[in-house]
Amino acid sequence: MTLSNIRTLPATLALIVASLGGAASARADDAVPANDFRLGSYSVFYHASADDLSGPYVPAGLNFHTDNVETLYVGYVRRLSTHFSAELALGYPPLTKTYGVGPATVGSQPYSGQEISTARWLAPTAFVEYNFFAEDAVLRPFIGVGVNYTNFYDRRSTAAGDEASGGPTKIELPPSFGPAATVGLAYRLAEHWHAYASYSASKVNTRLTLITAGVDRTSHVEFNPQALVVSIGYAF
Amino acid sequence: MFNLSKQFAAAAAVTLLAACGSSSNTSSMANSTARGTLALDPPLRIASLDAATFAAELNATATGAELLALTSTPVCGVDFYYVKFWTVGGANETTESSGALMVPTGAAPACSGPRPIVLYAHGTDTDKATNIADITNPSNTEGALIAAAFAAQGYIVVAPNYAGYDISTLGYHPYLNAVQNADEMTDILTAARTALPNTLSAATSDNGKLFITGYSEGGYVAMATQRALEAAGKTVTAAAPMSGPYALEAFGDTIFFGGVDLGSTVFSPLLTTSYQKAYGDIYTATTDVFSSQYANGIDTLLPSLTPIDTIFAQGLLPETALFDSTTPTVTIPDNPTESAELTAALTVPTLATTPLAPLFDLGFGTSYLITNDYRVSYAINAATFVDGAGPLAPHGSPPTLAAIPSAIPSPTLAPAFYLRQAFNTNDLRNPSWAPSAPTLLCGGDADPTVFYAVNTGTMEAFWSDLPAGLVNVLDINGTPATSGPLAPFAPLQLAFQASQAALLVYYQSAAGGGLSAAAAAAAVTQGTHTAEAPFCTVAARSFFSLF
Repeated sequence: MTLSNIRTLPATLALIVASLGGAASARADDAVPANDFRLGSYSVFYHASADDLSGPYVPAGLNFHTDNVETLYVGYVRRLSTHFSAELALGYPPLTKTYGVGPATVGSQPYSGQEISTARWLAPTAFVEYNFFAEDAVLRPFIGVGVNYTNFYDRRSTAAGDEASGGPTKIELPPSFGPAATVGLAYRLAEHWHAYASYSASKVNTRLTLITAGVDRTSHVEFNPQALVVSIGYAF
Repeated sequence: MFNLSKQFAAAAAVTLLAACGSSSNTSSMANSTARGTLALDPPLRIASLDAATFAAELNATATGAELLALTSTPVCGVDFYYVKFWTVGGANETTESSGALMVPTGAAPACSGPRPIVLYAHGTDTDKATNIADITNPSNTEGALIAAAFAAQGYIVVAPNYAGYDISTLGYHPYLNAVQNADEMTDILTAARTALPNTLSAATSDNGKLFITGYSEGGYVAMATQRALEAAGKTVTAAAPMSGPYALEAFGDTIFFGGVDLGSTVFSPLLTTSYQKAYGDIYTATTDVFSSQYANGIDTLLPSLTPIDTIFAQGLLPETALFDSTTPTVTIPDNPTESAELTAALTVPTLATTPLAPLFDLGFGTSYLITNDYRVSYAINAATFVDGAGPLAPHGSPPTLAAIPSAIPSPTLAPAFYLRQAFNTNDLRNPSWAPSAPTLLCGGDADPTVFYAVNTGTMEAFWSDLPAGLVNVLDINGTPATSGPLAPFAPLQLAFQASQAALLVYYQSAAGGGLSAAAAAAAVTQGTHTAEAPFCTVAARSFFSLF
């Protein structure tokens, strides 16, 4: 993943949202705010599964799991029409920790349960959502489908990870594109203000490569995070 | 607020930098391919075993448990590093090679802090994928042996896989090339010394003492390395070459005159290819040396990723028949006497003339490797420029000692003797030198693969004028000394001889195949070269512990 890809992706998404919004705004009722900024908490639950690590000098059965994370949710929602909206959901990139699963030791180095690596996730997700009921309803359930892009950065092998891998280790986790879906509920607090709760799932697939002194060990990983978002939005 | 947003901007900038920069550290790749350069720094640690785990893993197999009984229980853990370094090939070509750095670890006093280095050279291996650092490979018995014998007892071990093996892109192995062998040992030592402080085992450091040892081919490499380091004025604390073909010319003569060693059909193509690459004059076509049945492709046959038994089964090499079972007739024009003498000397041996005769007999067959023409040419050269197992003179000088057969005038047959010239060049008596560091030569007099008398015995005689105690010679199969510097090795000699005796009984038992006494004795002899290795290795350690 190059820097330019990372830069252009949110811009591209913003353009898509803007153009959808622009097309829709002609028909929008001027009284209904078109923009909604949301801030809240993002609880991410990983339903990760990974192949056992494979490569030179790797004993059988080395696997890992990823700890769930909580982070700040920032969302921008653009009203497209009475029932449709587009959401760009962002989380402040959480530090995600990965722990060894498998044998207690690799050789004599502790493995199972050791924090072996960390990474930050920049994982914008764009949804097109369908909102039920009238726009001024107190409760509006919504459902949405979209696309998730996940870029992993600040990828680090911990000291324990380096001990298990046999030296300073570079981690490669190519970015992932995948479908996402969401279901949620909006609760009208006051004019302009809503509270939201949503549950979303996305498919995040990547190939983990641990590079230690020229030796590559790999695993196909599916993180498949699900996220609970609780937020407050201001519409204008 | 202003400050906060500035902080946020800074955090965002850091995030972006992190996203575009390299994400984590790993080993750096060397920019130089100069000799002794560590190619990847730090090297990969393949495995890290504490003393108890290493003991448990060895004890999990019968051979491992036997090894442990001999080498003693590990005092230290061992970290196994896979070192890649730059060295040279037999024609001084730049090439990458690899090997092991085994570092003792743990809380015991002998396991960290400044420790001595054992520079070890392994024996002939036909497996191109040989990686002595890979302790996770169950067939890496020599790696396990040196880890148990040295590293687990507090010695840092450095051991090359050799150019032409593993990741080395050199298309051949510079087999028994004294200059290259010493260069490569020196280069991995330099690379390992560079690597050690940067490893995960940096609590252990080099105390400056250097012990050099190796077995079989590695015994030769060890001696060549000792010679080179001492000549360069480098520290050698002590050395223990084991069962090596040191006196290469005398050994070659022994073989060509009918004392065919076990393994010769494997050693021959390794040697001819090595010297052809280094000197370019061994042959113009492989058929100059090898019978047409095997000549095609023999120059690239070994080392190989194909198991040697498969190579035998595919008919690419004879298993034991080095020479034609038909005795050649030597015809030197106008010299019937010498012709007859040489013909007699080349007579295919008959059984029971020596204890190793049954093995010599195996060296001859109808599907043989080396042609009689080549054998005759070699023999004429050997008879002209007699080795005499003394100090070697350059070819062309008058023979120093009479040997079989008596000297004859310059050959008038085509002198296809460049192989023997290469033996002379790489014979470790040539140029004349003597160790300055205390040296132990260990071997066994029943060794069917690297003959003891012509190699270890020749070096012993060659250095017989040195001060007492400088060169010590231990025949692991010999009579134990009750006093003197060799007395401490008596228990090892007895243990080796007891294990050979037990093996002889075993082969005659139902479980061991119920062989006849003679067949069982042959089976024991066949395995002797390998069987000596751990006993000599422990003798080497015991010797090193004196310094």
